[in-house]
Amino acid sequence: MIFQALHRLRERGVLGMNGRNAEYIMAMNARSAYPSVDNKVETKRLAAQFGIPTPKLYYVVENHGSIASLPKVLEDHQEFAVKPAHGSGGNGIVLITAKTEKGFVTQSGRVISGEDFAYHVSSILSGIYSLGGREDMAIIEALIHPDPVFDGVSYQGVPDERVIIYRGVPVMAMVRLPTRASDGKANLHRGAIGAGIDLAGGTTLAGVHKTRLINTHPDTGNPVSGIVIPHWDELLTMAATAWEMTGLGYLGADFVLDRDSGPVLLELNARPGLAIQMANQVGLRLRLEMTDRAPAEIFSSPQARVAWAEETFGHKKK
Amino acid sequence: MKRPVFYLAGALFLLAGLLVLYRVIWLGYPVLPTAPGITWQLLIDAHIVPLQEESTLSLGLPLEHTGTMIVEERVFSGMYTFNTLKLGPNRIGIWSGSGVSRPEEITYQATILIRPRRDFIAPSSPLLSPYPPAMGPEEQQVIEKLASPWETLAPPARLQAVTAALKGAWRNQTPPGALLKAWQVLLQQHDRRDIALALLTAATLPARAVEGLRLAEEVQPAPSRWIEVWTGQAWSNLDHLTGELYQDSAPLLPLAVGGLPAFGVTGAEIADIRWIMSRRVMSQWQLHFERIIRSEHLLDRWSLFQLPRDFQDTFRILLLVPIGALMISLLRNIVGLPTFGIFMPVLMSLAFRSTGLLYGIAIFCGVLLIGFLARRFLDRFHLLLVPRLSVILTLVIACFTLLALTGNRFGLREFMAVGLIPFVILTMTIERFFVVVEEAGAKEALLTTAGSSAVSIITYGIISWEPLQLTFFVYPELILAVAALQILVGCYTGYRLSELIRFRSLGGPP
Repeated sequence: MIFQALHRLRERGVLGMNGRNAEYIMAMNARSAYPSVDNKVETKRLAAQFGIPTPKLYYVVENHGSIASLPKVLEDHQEFAVKPAHGSGGNGIVLITAKTEKGFVTQSGRVISGEDFAYHVSSILSGIYSLGGREDMAIIEALIHPDPVFDGVSYQGVPDERVIIYRGVPVMAMVRLPTRASDGKANLHRGAIGAGIDLAGGTTLAGVHKTRLINTHPDTGNPVSGIVIPHWDELLTMAATAWEMTGLGYLGADFVLDRDSGPVLLELNARPGLAIQMANQVGLRLRLEMTDRAPAEIFSSPQARVAWAEETFGHKKK
Repeated sequence: MKRPVFYLAGALFLLAGLLVLYRVIWLGYPVLPTAPGITWQLLIDAHIVPLQEESTLSLGLPLEHTGTMIVEERVFSGMYTFNTLKLGPNRIGIWSGSGVSRPEEITYQATILIRPRRDFIAPSSPLLSPYPPAMGPEEQQVIEKLASPWETLAPPARLQAVTAALKGAWRNQTPPGALLKAWQVLLQQHDRRDIALALLTAATLPARAVEGLRLAEEVQPAPSRWIEVWTGQAWSNLDHLTGELYQDSAPLLPLAVGGLPAFGVTGAEIADIRWIMSRRVMSQWQLHFERIIRSEHLLDRWSLFQLPRDFQDTFRILLLVPIGALMISLLRNIVGLPTFGIFMPVLMSLAFRSTGLLYGIAIFCGVLLIGFLARRFLDRFHLLLVPRLSVILTLVIACFTLLALTGNRFGLREFMAVGLIPFVILTMTIERFFVVVEEAGAKEALLTTAGSSAVSIITYGIISWEPLQLTFFVYPELILAVAALQILVGCYTGYRLSELIRFRSLGGPP
């Protein structure tokens, strides 16, 4: 019975953790290229070179000494986001939407005192959110105002789009929708919804909540599928450019749709998760192997790769 | 693409296999090192009181021959000097002292392995021994006449006739009255051993007097005596007092043959001497241990047996740690069980060796819980990372101290051994546990704890399994094979069992 189940997974082209690590991450991602994705400051710098928009950087807190100067730095900004430069999975991110006398108001409406805020920044610096626990830097950057397209299917928080890029070809995508259970975080592990995206056209498909397939958002009751994501081709092209930008053969790119400026790159990930397969109900390995068989000329430009991906992986119109 | 890796793993397997084969075939290592072997422990204890300037004590010692192996020999001679002397088929231990004035205690100890084995090479027939010197020519004539009717019989039948005669029963025909009378006189005048030897000589059966020990757990104040009779193929043992033949497999250990005494003393007095036989079950490994120690072969000289005893115990455990690591690789990459840290479960299982599994797990979970609650409480103070970890570490040490004191109060050794639990690992585990609870929920944290415990229990089971310990200790090259397995696990790119559950929504028909 187990062997049958294993066989079915293989037939469906599902990519497992071992396969991802050994055959894709270790084979396609040079260790030397990791800093460009693990360090958000570096990612921002590179993205600017390639014309990919990222949230505007306000300030980088590099050591505990500069925490004291934060109030002065933040004087001009009413709203901003604080992130660990080497963070992952959305851990350690605090979004501030307003400043009051009592302190900072977070996106979920909680008020944190200036002291608590300083402690949080200090925690980021001491490395509790960073990969491998090394000392870190804290980034203070502009707050994104999400496009209202997902308002009906998210509970607080900011929905984001994850694209898996293999050899520069966007092979799979999903949108992560925060729920009450995920505490407004777009993190599938914590209970956010992952909804697959039809690469051709950018329409959402059914979603997955934890391990369950769903059609409607558990908090709002609205259908998750059939939402057309604006600026989709632009977003896909940016994602495809991440290959030239980082040199990583297998990576995940996270975007947010800003209400005013369209898709913005939030972060890159050299070890993207596998849950995207459930959200799309398609095995990743299937698409990765199709990409390996793609004609050589498509790899010449991001636009060509996006066109090939939409043609190959897009759901055929009825 | 994967080819070179398989060559590497194959080469490691091959190397391990060849080394094991070399040890088994050329060096005669036991294939099953843990199979028990029954040995006899002989202890000769003599209390010698010197009377003259020069004094010697000679003792017949067991001889190594087919079916009998001396595994270990220890001699304690005090002021005396010890030498061995080979005298025909005998090995005599001689303790000689010059100018020894005080009484001395001399001990000889040997571990003897008796392996009943058919001997395929028939030893050459021994010569017929002469009549015992105590027998005069007339007496020899009497005996020859008594034995004359048996001349035509085959050797075994002749031996039967002799034993019957010793019991007073005459085979086929009773000798004439005069002869019988002379026989009765003989019986009264001579030692039964001499009579038996003379009868055997007359019956043309080579024989020799033996002094030795019965293989039975007992203290013998003097060696037993019997006669070995050559019946054409092998020696038979005859009890000359009863006229009975011992069974073929009779447990006898000859110490001196051919009329030589099993012990003798000159210039001194033996105040007390005892031969103590005891049975001991040793593993084949222990039997070989002694042999390896004395061996000249390279692999024997570089064997772990040559290490001092206390370090040996360490390596018996250390050699199994790679198997623990292999288990972790298996459970993480093939089963997909989450664990805290990579090697934390192995370190825990090492600690369980001193605390015991049940207490170990209980202490671990207890301290983890206390640490977690403390960590939650500390969270509000916004301590920096390193000082915060230091506080948790201090708490862990405090818990250990309390446990040890409690253990001491109630006589629980397991609690006192708590110090061997790796406290740094426990501290990091508390921090990780807290982070996992905060980020992924209590369910995930408990699952990870269960995974870690499962791995430590399995690893503990493996490293505590004595036969495996011995096997790896005797054949340390086996860790090369373990490394090969680890490499093979590293090549596994298939699904983890846990992914069957994770991806079950994708496992349906396409």
